[in-house]
Amino acid sequence: MSEPTPIVVVVEDEKQIRRFVRTALEDEGCRVFEAETAARGLAEAGTRKPALVVLDLGLPDRDGVDFIKDLRGWSSVPVIVLSARSEESDKIAALDAGADDYLSKPFGVGELLARVRAMLRRQIAVGGTSVFEFSDVRVDLASRTVERSGQPVHLTPIEYRLLTHLLANSGKVLTHRQLLKEVWGPSYVDSSHYLRIYVGHLRQKLEADPTRPRHLLTETGVGYRFQP
Amino acid sequence: MNERMQSRDETEEGDLQPGRTRLSGYAYAAAACLATTLLATPLRDLFDLANIVMLFLLTVVLVAVRLGRGPAVAAAFLSVASFDFFFVPPRFSFAVSDAQYILTFAVMLTVALITGQLTARLRLEAKAASGRERRARALYGMARDLSGALTVEQAADIARRFIHDTLAANTMLYLPIGTGELKEAGDTAGIPDGITARFAHLAFRSGKAVGPGTPDIEHRPILFLPLSAPMRVRGVMTVTLGESPLLPEQRQLLETVASLVAIVIERLHYVEVAQEALLGVESERLRNALLSAVSHDLRTPLTVLVGLSDSLAMTGEGLPRNMKETAEAIRDEALRMSRLVSNLLDMARLQAGDVRLRKDWQPLEEIVGSSLKHVEALLQGRSVRIDLMPGLPLLEFDAVLIERVLCNLIENAAKFTPADGQVTIAARRRDDFVEISVSDNGPGLVQGSEIAIFEKFMRGQPESAKAGVGLGLAICRSIVEAHGGRIWAENRSEGGARFVFTLPIGEPPTVDDMLMARIEGEVS
Repeated sequence: MSEPTPIVVVVEDEKQIRRFVRTALEDEGCRVFEAETAARGLAEAGTRKPALVVLDLGLPDRDGVDFIKDLRGWSSVPVIVLSARSEESDKIAALDAGADDYLSKPFGVGELLARVRAMLRRQIAVGGTSVFEFSDVRVDLASRTVERSGQPVHLTPIEYRLLTHLLANSGKVLTHRQLLKEVWGPSYVDSSHYLRIYVGHLRQKLEADPTRPRHLLTETGVGYRFQP
Repeated sequence: MNERMQSRDETEEGDLQPGRTRLSGYAYAAAACLATTLLATPLRDLFDLANIVMLFLLTVVLVAVRLGRGPAVAAAFLSVASFDFFFVPPRFSFAVSDAQYILTFAVMLTVALITGQLTARLRLEAKAASGRERRARALYGMARDLSGALTVEQAADIARRFIHDTLAANTMLYLPIGTGELKEAGDTAGIPDGITARFAHLAFRSGKAVGPGTPDIEHRPILFLPLSAPMRVRGVMTVTLGESPLLPEQRQLLETVASLVAIVIERLHYVEVAQEALLGVESERLRNALLSAVSHDLRTPLTVLVGLSDSLAMTGEGLPRNMKETAEAIRDEALRMSRLVSNLLDMARLQAGDVRLRKDWQPLEEIVGSSLKHVEALLQGRSVRIDLMPGLPLLEFDAVLIERVLCNLIENAAKFTPADGQVTIAARRRDDFVEISVSDNGPGLVQGSEIAIFEKFMRGQPESAKAGVGLGLAICRSIVEAHGGRIWAENRSEGGARFVFTLPIGEPPTVDDMLMARIEGEVS
């Protein structure tokens, strides 16, 4: 790798989970710093200038959501949340507080690395091109054009805005609330069926198989994610 | 002497023993007259006869004060008689020499009778007032005892004792039990005999007292009083009456007791209801805390197992093939264990009935897609056909739970289908429902097991080596039913099994085209 070694802070109270997460990340070429508690984690995040924080939501000393709110006060470092709770509301709270992605326990190493890579890539891509390409679709933000297999695709203004918002946050999970607020405006945060209908339209226009999307993914009960 | 008057005296005075009143009262009156006569005889020469009359009148008043109306009347007549006999000349004869004494007798008798009557009534009223006060105090005491009663049995006991003490009557409380039957309150709890039960029910249902005077009941000296509380009739109190009929005052007393007891029973009832509710909240909180603790405690070691075995399997070339396979097997089993734990916890939550549905209006298509993504690994190459009727309306459901249903059904289909089998997911509109089905081309269901497989811990093929304890379908049923739908299984005519569930269509929100257009306009 030509880029400098990315630094990852892992905040997790269970020693064995820290161990395999560390092994996996080090194999991936990262430098890992561990923290057992939220307080220690915040200190590490402040001093190590990490490229990524992996955070367990069930910390002994503090609620993970509080940790994120605190961190977001002074840092925009990507955060991947590990959650043992099956309740979707906890994940949503963490994402709304500023987390970028989540993994439900138990998770495989492959799954973890895929998310980590996406987050690290996103950072590098910041300030990059204005052209996004996925499958046979090409989106040019500068000329505001969308093409599929070389043919122009007509999107309504809302559809275009929704798509560009998803693209700009590529790899990140966006909650229903976040998307409605960004695309429709603050007064539409409870009209989630609009969002679902429009995502459906986008899939019809851009996905090879709209019922089994490969890029415009559903995070059930939580929101959507664009995966390049 | 007036017999009727006498008996009334007796009942009104109540507290005097009947024998004493009847006989000794008159004897005392006679003795008083005799004493006055003896006392006045030596004074006869010193005082005018008019003043002797005063002595006799005083006697009558005193008799009235002490002994009541009857003896007073007797004393009045005796006084006139002895005044005539012993004092009015000619003495020792009822004959009267001077006709003016006739007037004296008449006035004397009238004054004696009137003062006697008035005095006696005064005395009666004083007695009645003190009686009322005593009763009120007793009633107050009972009400205080009742307000401290902690159980219905205690309340019944207090009422029983009070009525026994004040009216010397026996009391019984009958309270309704679950089936609507009336049952005696207390330890010796018995069911009332046929006729008693009939009248008790009559009083209970009508909310009106049943007793002497009600048709068919004459021969039974029992009064059935309904225990009418503010909210409803809470039971029936029976009072076994004595020989004599109840006075209005006593009847009123009994009704007061009945309504006091009713209020106490109602109070106890609501205390119980409140306690149960509190207990319910407590146990629900405890259960939720327990479930999330169990969920956390089980998932943490499973996460470690999955993560470590996965790391081991991914170490790559350095690892012998069979060790790599072992590591993968450990990971897969740990993941399966995790699904099992999720199922168990979900079942516990669903069974407890405290799953809050987070319903949203959404297209079914989306959930089919996300379910398939979840179970991709389990399908292991089996092909999937999706056949959703175009133009399906938006449905209102909890995305996470319905995804769970679909995942379980697809996983189930995959489990019982050969490796090259096909799973079909279809949806059709049928009247007010959308019917969603997951079919496979496997061996189908064992005849007669179509319903049993939705029970907990049941499996389609009991002896099969396929994994699973059969919670999946039971969870599906709970979720679908919580959404107001139905779920069933059937064999396809062309072979294989089909699992079908329905979701009600309801009234989808109108997707306001005007609004959509306006928003579109705003953006561009």
